Amino acid sequence: MLVIGEVHTGLLQNSGEISESTCRQVLGLMAGESVRVSRRPIVHALSPERLTGVDCALPAASRSRIRGVGTVVSRCAVTGGRVAQGSSYVRVVRSETDRRLPWSHYLSRPGVVEVLGKAKAADLAEGFTGDPAPGCLDLGAVSGRFLDLVQASPLLDRRAPFKIPRTSLRWVAETGEPSIRFTLHTEQERTLRLTHPGPFTPAVVDLCEDLATHDWLLTSLLVIVERARIGATPGAQAVARLAPAIDHLMHLWMPAARVEEWLTPFWESLERRPGFTRQWRSLVDRVRDQVAMNTLALLSATAEAGRR
Amino acid sequence: MTPVHATFGEVAAERRIASVPLSHVSVELGHLYMEDFEAGPDRLREQFRRVAPWLATVRSLWRERVPGGRARVSTCFLVDDYFSRFSTPAELVPMVLEAAAEHDLSIDYLARESACAQSGGVELARLVEDRLVDDPPPETDGSRPPVKETGWLCNGSRSPRTAPLQAMGKARPWEPPAQNAKRGHSIFVDVELWDEKGPRRTWSCPFLAAVWQLLRLGLLRSEGRVPLPPVALDGGWPRDWDGLPAVVRLNPQAAPFSAYTTLSVLSPRFLPVELAVRTILSQVAVDDEVLRQVATRSESEGVRLEEELVDRISYVFV
Repeated sequence: MLVIGEVHTGLLQNSGEISESTCRQVLGLMAGESVRVSRRPIVHALSPERLTGVDCALPAASRSRIRGVGTVVSRCAVTGGRVAQGSSYVRVVRSETDRRLPWSHYLSRPGVVEVLGKAKAADLAEGFTGDPAPGCLDLGAVSGRFLDLVQASPLLDRRAPFKIPRTSLRWVAETGEPSIRFTLHTEQERTLRLTHPGPFTPAVVDLCEDLATHDWLLTSLLVIVERARIGATPGAQAVARLAPAIDHLMHLWMPAARVEEWLTPFWESLERRPGFTRQWRSLVDRVRDQVAMNTLALLSATAEAGRR
Repeated sequence: MTPVHATFGEVAAERRIASVPLSHVSVELGHLYMEDFEAGPDRLREQFRRVAPWLATVRSLWRERVPGGRARVSTCFLVDDYFSRFSTPAELVPMVLEAAAEHDLSIDYLARESACAQSGGVELARLVEDRLVDDPPPETDGSRPPVKETGWLCNGSRSPRTAPLQAMGKARPWEPPAQNAKRGHSIFVDVELWDEKGPRRTWSCPFLAAVWQLLRLGLLRSEGRVPLPPVALDGGWPRDWDGLPAVVRLNPQAAPFSAYTTLSVLSPRFLPVELAVRTILSQVAVDDEVLRQVATRSESEGVRLEEELVDRISYVFV
């Protein structure tokens, strides 16, 4: 029917970026399963996947009661040793019966939630990206817990260089004519509706996680630039406030680095409108211009002092 | 210049899952505990006498089922060296083999129970523990972590705690536990997985038996590799259990140790243990890729497997 997921993204609670080997330890959520690490073009570490059992109402825009039973797939990721994510998703399918089956049935279909009774994909998609009623499947809570699991690792020093809120991206993927709709809701909430050709594959999850990472980077850089109060505070002070962005964020922008080729057109269309990279570049330029101007000011002040 | 199509790969970023050779059925001819050993070789002979006709039946059933009648059946025997250490391999194994031979039974593989907990640097029991996914009671929406009693696993919702009677307060009346997938009435099962005394954890017999079933079904992997592959023994039987490989291949011509299905021939006194084993196994999430491998293989040779792994396990209680 459709696939729904939620990604929570935040700054890793550590003073600096963590090494690849620390990533492996932090993300080792399951005995006997390795953490997958890719190093090009940016270090990206992905934990093994874990399942959570659910038996509850699914969010429906019509508020009709739709019961789903099955398992949620969750995983954590660390990008550039700096950005942490908790991500969960389920494939929603119709059940062949209208009663709950023994649990082993659901475990033979990991990551699938079966709908008992009638349900329409559109109703569920609207319900999930809208305002889900309490008591419905809460993927946000599951992803939040997985992100907490990473952040609570004893290997982290919990001295993050700046405070920045987590963002959540709730996404729905369906098969059909290709389209993508990215919506900003509150400061921290985003939704994504994606229609892709062909059947669902986990590459779609990679795309959503990649978008969530970059949306978080952009959001965080905006917050830092805003906090610097450029123009309203003395140059040196503004630059000092911009420093965390230079130290910790600006090198992390690698859009679509881990996205399979058949899905890159979705990223490209978001680059045209709203133009994530365009906004990122303009912010980065702004930060660099501030630093350059401040350096010039410092140089001329030093020269002035030398002449006296 | 025409565009160049580049491909780039990183080994550490990929998941590689080894495959394991599989028989059609793995038959457990017996499970030896200290009490059986103490009862003497007659107890063993009696066990093998009971088992022999069932093994013959299973062989003929699979011959009918498999195209061409080429059924791969392997037999195994498990010795408990975990809960109590008794005798030595040098003394015990020849006695077991002899008793089996008296009933024309050949034991293809011999395994040590402690290997299901830990062997060769692989903690199989931990591996399986991390793969447990609790059977959720209705109204489990993911908003809270699963309710767990550390070291226990059940098939439903436990009775709410009844607090001791307090002054001025009313005692809460008892409420029953409930099985999640009940049919009319509940059969509630709560299984102890392990206990800890100080730093040492002791896995329960049903938990190790669940690991044993998964090992026989070829569904476990450690870092993508097959854990504890059977080893042929060079030289004689060691004088110490720790000197014995986890799974020993006794018969060089034997069909593979792991199989699509398992059959265990057991005394009815093991019935509660096996109910516990099934309660555990129905909450183990086997790796998706491993499940797919087994399904593809069985389909390619015309064998239709049950989807749920508990349905691939059968018993004869005699």
